[in-house]
Amino acid sequence: MIYLLQVLILGGIMLSAYFVLRFNDLIASVVCLVIMSLLLSVEYYILQAPDVAIAEAAVGAGLSTAIYVIAIKKSSRWEK
Amino acid sequence: MMAAAGLLFLIILCFIRAILGPTTHDRLVAMDTTNNMVVAVLVVLGAAYNEIIYVDVAIVYAMLSFVSTLYISRYLEVAQ
Repeated sequence: MIYLLQVLILGGIMLSAYFVLRFNDLIASVVCLVIMSLLLSVEYYILQAPDVAIAEAAVGAGLSTAIYVIAIKKSSRWEK
Repeated sequence: MMAAAGLLFLIILCFIRAILGPTTHDRLVAMDTTNNMVVAVLVVLGAAYNEIIYVDVAIVYAMLSFVSTLYISRYLEVAQ
């Protein structure tokens, strides 16, 4: 049962990491990066490391998203 | 554990919406739904592992996922 969960989560991580690199709209890339970080946080949680999961959720969901959005606001939104 | 697998399947469906979504707002709503479902998965897995500590990760994630949604939607409001 735990293997089915891990296959779903790891497949989602691979797919979202591919689409982070694929999109031309950088805001869509940030959205996919948030989804990748939260799936990674669930994976740390399933591997029974809740402190690493808390740190990953704090950095991935809160901090890095804010920094990326501020950087996109200061520069261009569309990749050329 | 079975309920967590079902919720993860629904997360994959939301992720497909985030990939295919024609506008940025579709992607943002799909990301927000995914965040809330991940909080549900963390609580369900905490009940499955029978550990009271694991619910704290869900509390921290429920606070921080709101921040990322807020940042991206504020960027979209300013950009228009």
